[in-house]
Amino acid sequence: MKLHYNICPRNCYDTCSIVSTTRNGVLISVEGNPLHEYTSGKLCPKALDDVKKVYSPQRIRYPMRQRGRYSGFWERISWDDALDQIAKKILGLKEQYGTSLPLALNKYSGNFGILHNAMEGLLTGIGATTRAVGSPCWSAGVDAQTLDFGSFFCSDPLDMAKAKLIWLWGVNPAWTAVHQMPIIFDAIDHGARVVCFDTHFSATAAQAHQYIQVHPGTDGLLALGFAKVLLKESLIDPNLQSYTLGHKEFIHYLETEISLERCSEVTGVPITTIRELAVEYGQTHPACIWAGFGLQRYTNGGQTLRAIDALGALAGHLGEQGGGVQYAQFETWRFSGAIQNPSHPINSSSKANQTSINSLTLNPQKTDRCLNINQFSEEALVCTDPPVKMLWISGRNPLSQDGNLQQWKKLINQLDLVVVNDLFHTKSSEAADLFLPVTTHYEHWDLNAGYWHYWVGVNEPAILPVGEARSDLQIAWDVSSRLNTLAPGSCTFPTSGNEKETLLRELSPKMLELLGLEKPEDILKGPIRAKFPRTSWKNRTFATPSGRYEFFSTQAANAHLAPLPIFVPPLAPSTNTPLRLLTPHHYSTINSQVYTLDTNKTQYVLHLSPELAQRYCLVSGDRAQIWNELGVLNVIIEPEFGFSTDVVVIFQEQFDANSPLNCLLGTPSTDMGHLFLGARGFALNETFVNLKKL
Amino acid sequence: MAKQLGFVLDANCCLGCGACVKACQNHHQLAPSVSWRQIRKVEKLSNNHVQKFYLSTACNHCGNPECLRVCPSGAYAKRRDGIVLHRSEKCTGCKSCVASCPFGAPQFDPTNKASKCQLCYDRLDLGMPPVCVQACLTGALVLKELDNISENQLLRLTAPRPSLRLTRPSVFYKLPRATKLSNPNQIMD
Repeated sequence: MKLHYNICPRNCYDTCSIVSTTRNGVLISVEGNPLHEYTSGKLCPKALDDVKKVYSPQRIRYPMRQRGRYSGFWERISWDDALDQIAKKILGLKEQYGTSLPLALNKYSGNFGILHNAMEGLLTGIGATTRAVGSPCWSAGVDAQTLDFGSFFCSDPLDMAKAKLIWLWGVNPAWTAVHQMPIIFDAIDHGARVVCFDTHFSATAAQAHQYIQVHPGTDGLLALGFAKVLLKESLIDPNLQSYTLGHKEFIHYLETEISLERCSEVTGVPITTIRELAVEYGQTHPACIWAGFGLQRYTNGGQTLRAIDALGALAGHLGEQGGGVQYAQFETWRFSGAIQNPSHPINSSSKANQTSINSLTLNPQKTDRCLNINQFSEEALVCTDPPVKMLWISGRNPLSQDGNLQQWKKLINQLDLVVVNDLFHTKSSEAADLFLPVTTHYEHWDLNAGYWHYWVGVNEPAILPVGEARSDLQIAWDVSSRLNTLAPGSCTFPTSGNEKETLLRELSPKMLELLGLEKPEDILKGPIRAKFPRTSWKNRTFATPSGRYEFFSTQAANAHLAPLPIFVPPLAPSTNTPLRLLTPHHYSTINSQVYTLDTNKTQYVLHLSPELAQRYCLVSGDRAQIWNELGVLNVIIEPEFGFSTDVVVIFQEQFDANSPLNCLLGTPSTDMGHLFLGARGFALNETFVNLKKL
Repeated sequence: MAKQLGFVLDANCCLGCGACVKACQNHHQLAPSVSWRQIRKVEKLSNNHVQKFYLSTACNHCGNPECLRVCPSGAYAKRRDGIVLHRSEKCTGCKSCVASCPFGAPQFDPTNKASKCQLCYDRLDLGMPPVCVQACLTGALVLKELDNISENQLLRLTAPRPSLRLTRPSVFYKLPRATKLSNPNQIMD
């Protein structure tokens, strides 16, 4: 029996450290690493099924070619054949169009390991290409916090245990960040009160002392309402002058534009509750707000986060041990970026002047054609000079997750070649020509950082690749090798290498300093926590242009945004589509990733309030249909306590259904995301439907 | 000396996440149709409060096990530490226990025999906790020697029918706090 250290590479708050056990080269069990302070020896139910997942009979073990898209007639081919087809297509397009721009990459967080950025490196090595930029997840919030604080950073999640008041706002850790719950319970045991704000009574709300139901998309106004109470009750931090910018302008805005009556009416929260909560928030120190990603998936998402930040600042909770406004961070992602940039000096000489980049924002080259990842199909379709002719999908499943499926289908039709790297067949692979089987994190080296906690670590392979699966890095080397064989000099990405050495090159001097390591090899001993103090912004020196917390942001003004956090209403439902559809994460999955292998659910479950169900003459278990101008979806009705009458909710569980959930999604954009992440976010929660009984 | 081991669940911090269920299924390599542990959701509404919580349940290793009493083939035994053991080799698959257990603990397996939680006795004998307890993320589920616990604030599980309380299930719950609702009208409607 042998033990190995792995890191769960999902796009998840927890980024767990895993100890895997193998016997005779076979993975037999996975457990949480007890030495990792955040994982603390435990895994969520998703990761507990990893052994089954690795050896699942449904997993694709060999390169496959589909005879006719959507036909399902897949045939096994050799890697040689697959690489040949890919390389010849790339070279052919380059010759035909005189540029490699017809080649497009759509990649995101299917596996957040740094070595998966080899795909970007390969394309950069080929030349200027078309890229999906931005993030489908957190963009508006990232921009908002970066405008306010100057960089994107949060406290160590363990800091929350010291809070006396915790506001969980638009976040459902009981399902999506389970390792934070013991920390919250610890705070409760020490006398903290927990208030949960959400659009529906979540599993986290069930664990809280108080639940506040907020009308979707109005959280920013609620925050401004709280701020107004702080002002009236003289509960604002007397030292604002010394570390913030523009508090007077913000106060003026509250005085002139915000009325509690309207705030109550719009948000659905009674005035007395707004007053009581605001006073408690102003008087309790430390008080922590955890703002979730759900809050900012609206057209006003960035403003909502800015308003919540401003509330925290006004009450003097920023920089307070156990307090603050926590969202996420990417300060622990300061890798060298050598892998995604073949001309990085570290690749030619280890003594070169080594810079570091943010490996989460993926820094495309200036010559690349950048398309918003959330409107990829629409933007790709209007590219004519040259058109997009080949698409490589890696670590993503856009045909199950993106909006505007009709445009996606249209785009697929104009493509010469669609390649998908994945573990299992997906909605996206249905449209693919080639399927390249990739390794799981138990089969390759990798380097992972958290975006919530401060831990960074190496993922070591526990077993040999299953079947003929190859890592994304290996695939990138192999494609480069084939390109250079067919046309010497056609790709500057390495043609071979060593995974372990490649990951060590990602540890820039800046990263080593953050981790307190002398040399890159030291990271191989086990995961390590970046040496930041536990509390963010502790000395109240901010990274903004003014060095202060910015209520008033000139950067925002320069980007044609309101300089102050303001309330902008979310989209309103129409008479044809009167209900807002929310599609939050379920505890059993992350988006469309495969966890539950033996799912027997064939119909989406629509959760709604009993009153709304009654209005449509529906009872539990009824079959019904929701639809809008984009699509139609059959659902099973489940009336449940804790939903307001203007929303219906489908949790993203794994369903074996014919019609994908995203057939109802358009591509509404958030107000921010383009300033620091390169593209606006996905205002997913601005989706409206109608409902009828079947 | 005889003792009684039993599960104690703090419903204040059970997330209903099912890590205990998964860990049990994987460790014991149960058929997909069988689950020795289950999660039940309980919801109680009052004026402006709601109690919504999860109960993770398995075999209760009763003080006076009905399964043992009804089994015609002597497949059940009670250990001196209180664990109720099901011995597969003696089981004829007659389903008497499946029908008589007030808590539905024994399940009928694809092997045509009954099976149920054995409290990971092999692990306990090595000084390790049961896998469900090991997997619990929040420490909500623990195993205790019930003779030694103070029953303050704890609630003993009871069966729906009084006559069945005679089985004396070895399970205690700590009842959860209620969540205050601020806009109950809107939510309760």
